[in-house]
Amino acid sequence: MIGRILDALAGRVSAADAVVKTDDTLTLSISAEGDTRVSGARSQVSHLRVARQGRIGFASTSEDASSDLVGRAMSGAASGEELELFLPAPAPLPSVVTRAPQAAAADAAVLHGLARALYERLSRTDRRVEAWAERSTGAVQVANTRSVLAGYDVSLAGVGALVESISAESAPPCRIHCAGVALPTLLDVELLVDEVSRRLDPPIVERAVALFDLPLCLGPRAAATLLRPLRAALTGYEAFLGRSPLRGRLGEQLFDGKLTLSDDPTAPGRPGSRPVDDDGVVSRRVMLVEAGRLAAFASDLLVGARAQVPSTGHGWRLPHAAPRVGLTNLRMQPGAESREALLGAMGRGVLIEDLDWGAGANPLPGTIALRAPWAYLVEGGTIRGRLEGVVVSGNVFEALNQIVAVGSDATWVGSQELPSLVVKGLSLVRDR
Amino acid sequence: MKSRILDALGRSRAGYTELRLRRVWCTTVLVRGRSVEVATAAVESGGMVRTCSPGTGWGMVGFSGTERLDVPVLQAHEFSLAGASRLPVTLAPIAVRQHEAATHLDDDPREIRLTEKRQRAEVLAAALFGLDRRVVSGRILLRDEVVETWLATSEGTWIHDLRSEVSVAALAIAEEEGNVERALGSIGQRGGWRAAAGAELLVLGVASRAIERLHATPARPGRYTVVMDPAAAGALAHRAVSHLARPALPGADPDVLPIGTRVGPECLSVGDDPTAEGLRASSICDDEGTGTRRTPLVQNGVVVGHLHNRETAATTGHAPTGHARAGALRGAPHPRATNTYLAQGTGSFDDLIGGIGTGIYLADTLAAEAAGDQVSLRAGSARMIRNGRLAEAVKGVHISAGILALLGRVDAIAADFSWDTQNASCRDGSAGVVPVTTGAPHLRLVDVAVGEGSS
Repeated sequence: MIGRILDALAGRVSAADAVVKTDDTLTLSISAEGDTRVSGARSQVSHLRVARQGRIGFASTSEDASSDLVGRAMSGAASGEELELFLPAPAPLPSVVTRAPQAAAADAAVLHGLARALYERLSRTDRRVEAWAERSTGAVQVANTRSVLAGYDVSLAGVGALVESISAESAPPCRIHCAGVALPTLLDVELLVDEVSRRLDPPIVERAVALFDLPLCLGPRAAATLLRPLRAALTGYEAFLGRSPLRGRLGEQLFDGKLTLSDDPTAPGRPGSRPVDDDGVVSRRVMLVEAGRLAAFASDLLVGARAQVPSTGHGWRLPHAAPRVGLTNLRMQPGAESREALLGAMGRGVLIEDLDWGAGANPLPGTIALRAPWAYLVEGGTIRGRLEGVVVSGNVFEALNQIVAVGSDATWVGSQELPSLVVKGLSLVRDR
Repeated sequence: MKSRILDALGRSRAGYTELRLRRVWCTTVLVRGRSVEVATAAVESGGMVRTCSPGTGWGMVGFSGTERLDVPVLQAHEFSLAGASRLPVTLAPIAVRQHEAATHLDDDPREIRLTEKRQRAEVLAAALFGLDRRVVSGRILLRDEVVETWLATSEGTWIHDLRSEVSVAALAIAEEEGNVERALGSIGQRGGWRAAAGAELLVLGVASRAIERLHATPARPGRYTVVMDPAAAGALAHRAVSHLARPALPGADPDVLPIGTRVGPECLSVGDDPTAEGLRASSICDDEGTGTRRTPLVQNGVVVGHLHNRETAATTGHAPTGHARAGALRGAPHPRATNTYLAQGTGSFDDLIGGIGTGIYLADTLAAEAAGDQVSLRAGSARMIRNGRLAEAVKGVHISAGILALLGRVDAIAADFSWDTQNASCRDGSAGVVPVTTGAPHLRLVDVAVGEGSS
């Protein structure tokens, strides 16, 4: 298919690249009543980008008609952006684990075993539980008119649950999941069960507890939400040419020296792992922040061409959308202290396990006022109970310049590997 | 296509089989600053097959393309046998409907050249930047979409429909003496290429709001009487009522407002009307082939109805309301809101604000979200109300409160009902994204906490 697409363009364009992605997803879900449901989805999407007479055009299709795709991309180029695009040449690909045969072959019975294990471990008389397990398998092919022809097989498997406490002291529904290229293990299931207990079991602490000036520890899930402004500021057009507060500040010491962040598409078996990006650029680990110093932004070929910088291999083609820049696997370098040691060192403080980003907030300026439905009062290293109605506010970029400690408990949350963080510079307030 | 769909359906060994196929043509032009950044065309086709048999649960298979439709039909049956249901699937009966409406589209966007669409987007961008030199950056996103749908069931339902819509979204960023403010807005109109002919007004409005915000002061957190414009009131009705007046969706918050619950004062009536003419979420039948109907959800402050698909209707002993909507090309239909309305009351906008000493007028909602029993609204623009009149612009207006507590603070509703024309969509749990419209008059609430960490 991909060869047919590029063959049809021979002699008609100055450059072109194409991506074909296939996916076969199988999902098994268990309802709160214990019913099991199996569903599947198969898709194939072809993306084509052409450069013709100095302009760029895109098209995509889920149909098997390459001539139609070519015609629409050519039409797009007649109206597209004026830009000189430099496509990569063939290069050796790194060896990256993107597929696990066992996950790719998992059938409904295997998924049922996983989902059922989690469902039964979480079920209690005072809880309402929905659980699911899913695996997808597919392939990615990338090619361009400079003879790049690369491909890799992928699998992704996950298990998760939505748990609602129906006791008198009710908490909001708790969503947990884990995912990776390989099938989750029973150990992964137990870690999720432990997390639910940590979040749901503590009693509610009186609202009268004063929060002012208490130190704040963010668990890995909360840290993933907190870093959203940083991810936006490090990525794509906004970073190089737009309104990122970090724009033009490469090389500067902008954050606390304890912050080291990289984006690593070569991490084995994670959701963002891949040997080559969707522009045909070979994957490599990119240091974004090194001991607090801003080291790099993420770009793809298009943003690179606009900003006159090389691509960092962060090109993505998503179904029926224009090419975009995105991180792959974001990894924060862990510290030396365990989570228990972090909590113990806080004295009296607040642990936040998860944050609710909410609606409509623009992440780029870094100013936040986020609800923290999973906040806990900690005294002497011990969790005393859950705090209701807590809002975390402040500026994320300023807080990342005031990191007190980084935990050794780096945990994968989707495609991010993050440890617990103790930070200053964020305020805890109660809603009214 | 009809014979291929019916042939595939005929190969099913399941008791009930439903095949939905869609083909979507869409073009997108993005102008960032004054330069076209993206001009793209996409065609996507695919759908979903669902089957169930006596004693089995659902088997569902999503697929892309239009080839080999018999494969997902057979696979869905296998999946239905693999599921284990405590109770077999029961579907409420519906009238079998044969509806062929895929006639020629007037002003078909597919017949407009991409060059013309690009020029249109550039004209709108020029209008955005032309209003005031303080508009330093911005974006125009012009999008059109034509959707052809085929739906066939083993009960004999046959639906074939063709529709189009055009949307424009604008972002303006204004800057003055280091102060940077932004404003967003969109319109989405069902119809042909000229349906969004009035987009200049939208663009100028967005640019004006960004300018206005340069001199807006942060709203002082506190408790206020709040008047919402129709767009904000409609968003509140959608998020606080429609999302909870239907059975729980997979992966969504499981809270449901039971029928008979008092959620607000006598003046509060909310419903959902997929039959409203010409709106983006309107249709004569839903994604299961059920005829749509206007469904009251809250009448005089009390929950009186829920949105249903055939399965939830049968489970609860109600009639299907025609609200089964698939949130993705390859997604299953779930009961979802379409055009949610807050019924109008009496009096004018001036009557609502007339007696307010100090209050806040909340307009242009940026976002409305609910989590658990909490709802939050973030204003795109807002003004103080002083001595019964609109006064200075304020920013940072954010309401976050318990749903029932907030609805209980509804105090008065005006008679100036209007449907909102924003290009709005609704995401709910893992049930996907559907286009929605809201309609409401101005709404007044008393003693509402506004600002950071409000409740």
